[in-house]
Amino acid sequence: MRAYLALLRAGFRRQTSYRLALAAGLATNAFFGVVRTAVFYALYRERDQVAGLDVADALTYVWVLEGLFAVVWAPWFWELAEAIRSGEFVAELLRPGDPYLRLLVFDLGRTLSVLATRTVPTLTVASLLLPLRLPGTLGGLALLGASLVLAAVVSFQLRFLFGSAAFWTPDYRSLFMLVFPVLWLASGFVVPVDFFPAPLRALVDWSPLIPLLMAPVRVATGAAGVALATQVAWVATLLLAGRLVLALASRRLVIHGG
Amino acid sequence: MTNRVIEVEGLRKRFRTRRGPVEAVAGIDFQVRAGEFVGYAGPNGAGKSTTVKMMSGILLPSGGRVEVCGMVPYRERKRLARRMGVVFGQRTQLWWDLPLEESFELVGHLYRIPAAERVARLRRLEEVLALGPLLAVPVRSLSLGQRMRAELAAAVLPSPEVLFLDEPTIGLDVEAKAAVRDFLRELNRDEGTTVILTTHDLDDITRLCSRLMIIDHGRLIYDGSVEALRTAYGTTRVLVVDLAEDEPVQLAGAVLARAEGRRRWLEFARDEVSAAELIARLLAGHEVADLTLEEPDIEDIVRRIYRGETRPRR
Amino acid sequence: MAEHARVYLRLAAASVRSTARRPAYLAARTVAAALIVAIEVAGVVLMLDRFGSIGGWRPPEVVLLFGLAFTAQGLALVFGDTLEADKMSELVRRGTFDQVLTRPASPLGWVVTSYVDTRFLGRMLAGAATVVWATDRAGVTWTPGRAGLAALAVACAAAIIFGVLLAAAGFTFVTVQASEAVNVFIYGGQYLASYPMQIYGSVLRFMFVWVVPLGLAIYVPALGVLGRQGPPGLPGWLAWLVAPVAGAFLALGGLAWRAGIRHYVGTGS
Repeated sequence: MRAYLALLRAGFRRQTSYRLALAAGLATNAFFGVVRTAVFYALYRERDQVAGLDVADALTYVWVLEGLFAVVWAPWFWELAEAIRSGEFVAELLRPGDPYLRLLVFDLGRTLSVLATRTVPTLTVASLLLPLRLPGTLGGLALLGASLVLAAVVSFQLRFLFGSAAFWTPDYRSLFMLVFPVLWLASGFVVPVDFFPAPLRALVDWSPLIPLLMAPVRVATGAAGVALATQVAWVATLLLAGRLVLALASRRLVIHGG
Repeated sequence: MTNRVIEVEGLRKRFRTRRGPVEAVAGIDFQVRAGEFVGYAGPNGAGKSTTVKMMSGILLPSGGRVEVCGMVPYRERKRLARRMGVVFGQRTQLWWDLPLEESFELVGHLYRIPAAERVARLRRLEEVLALGPLLAVPVRSLSLGQRMRAELAAAVLPSPEVLFLDEPTIGLDVEAKAAVRDFLRELNRDEGTTVILTTHDLDDITRLCSRLMIIDHGRLIYDGSVEALRTAYGTTRVLVVDLAEDEPVQLAGAVLARAEGRRRWLEFARDEVSAAELIARLLAGHEVADLTLEEPDIEDIVRRIYRGETRPRR
Repeated sequence: MAEHARVYLRLAAASVRSTARRPAYLAARTVAAALIVAIEVAGVVLMLDRFGSIGGWRPPEVVLLFGLAFTAQGLALVFGDTLEADKMSELVRRGTFDQVLTRPASPLGWVVTSYVDTRFLGRMLAGAATVVWATDRAGVTWTPGRAGLAALAVACAAAIIFGVLLAAAGFTFVTVQASEAVNVFIYGGQYLASYPMQIYGSVLRFMFVWVVPLGLAIYVPALGVLGRQGPPGLPGWLAWLVAPVAGAFLALGGLAWRAGIRHYVGTGS
């Protein structure tokens, strides 16, 4: 248990050392957030509600997006795949204990750092300047916090699955590149999933991408129960998937010698 | 009529570093006439590459005057680049992922060499440097020796007046070194290309250069013939001996240059006593744990020249 | 002069050939880049269809702005990506820039042609396709005048982006700087310019016109293409500024680049 806490702390420290990148990232988030806010204000000038969202919901969506951006699309996205390709990862598999859990905890340390230094400040400042719909009670905020952390966990799990393609092919990046645009849209990072036409929305609501952004937005704007449940369900499912992949990969390494 | 290809007068370069101003080049004067093959040596950090950079126009001098091919390098960098060739030992001027012949083609276009002339010249260079079978090979697949020959071909393809070489034989095996040296010698002799060869390799210098300049701490401490150097140091070798016991060593034909614990550095002149003889004499009188044979390095020689010695002490 | 251009074209062609080693990867990159544009546009369409209009502009008209902005960005980055701060500082750190200077070619031409990223070609093409689609949906009939305006928008916006990249590259010779500022300009600017200016408040409008004139370069010609009038408060003479402003950005960028090289040659890094 202490080992895992140490890993968590190590991950946290590692990410907080990138101070220049942090300032730059915050500036980028701020700029895009401001422009998107202006766009939504203009859109809602003549309508009160569209697809069940009003302007406060939309603005909350914008700033949760900017806050979570670096958590979901982590700058260290391909580190695992590169470690696999270079053969370094084998050492990780040979260590005693649970490699998946170790990777998860270390990554969580890093994403917690991002949450603390980017997500929370961004959301806080935005909520002070704009009429966001954020929970007003301590309990509500705790739920929101939990939802953000769950989003970070799912982010790792998905990144792990994509990165593990490196066990099977050197072309993992090409494959991902072609799939990414769809992921980008389906996760709600282009427009809120609520605006999709009904059949498309029904499809997307069942994807593991929902826990990344749309779920935290819904927890913030009020529909916490279902959203959190969705996140937890996906964490469990992706945990099984991740373990399965790792087991298959380990067997492959043993047979083929990496 | 002056046919001075390179003129350097009072050249200085001062750098501003965190530790304060550093004079990398502290006033150098020399002239190089067309067709000379000049060796340029000195310890690391002595100012060699700084001087070469100022001569090729990629560094602005802090003071003094420099002229290459009648041009001030930093003012007419592009024009000078057409008349000058550069080969960096470690880095490549070729196109890494493309077949070698495409690199030559691109050099031809870059230097505006008419196609017919380029083809003819390339054919001769291919022969001399044995590049024929390598033409279709991507540069990244060439061995170091092969690549060096290719770099030289690419550098001289535009028939430059001056050729700057930076450690061209480093890391090459004996055969490859010989090939490179033969090529450079012929180039200098047949085409009259002026060559400035920056190197740590004494063999390079003794076999190729008619003149040697040695720079140390930003100053020229030797500018003269290589002959003198050859007679003085070209034949010096050092026998490094690990004795079984810490005892004094007295050997005819060798001079004790240094002693540390049980290790002795014994200098001898190879033309006066052979290594085999010396080792025999040594083993006759002492118990030896280990021994190696070393060549003197440029630092050694620089130190001695600086101290005004002209022959190894007896 | 033409001979000069031919040499650089050859160098660029050589760079393309160098990357053609892995054609499948190249193709994937290009297609993926085009897909990203398509997805962004699809998202905008999805959103605007729900709302009907934004700032009085119908969806296809907004998509035209997106298309012009993406095309301009792609065009600028095809050449300008090599000037990106991280790449430039690596060039300087490794000493490779010395070699660039020993060539009988302009260092800018050499650096720019040293790598051609087909990703941005994909972006450009997708952007152009978007423009065609949008104008069709918006019911715009193409005239030589309108085509000229669209080309002007793309060229000027691209010139502004390239000028900024040039200037930033010049600065990398002098100091290690955050490339993020430039990225915010290039990507944030493109996003800012993809919506009609009237939706922005005074601060953003100011940025739109004066700080990140990308907006101006795209918006004003687009008005002409769509046959629209600008919002009240937008002086008519701004239209004449688009080309000179673009030129100014290029010129300033060039000056910064040259100053950067002078600094490099002076201090030897």
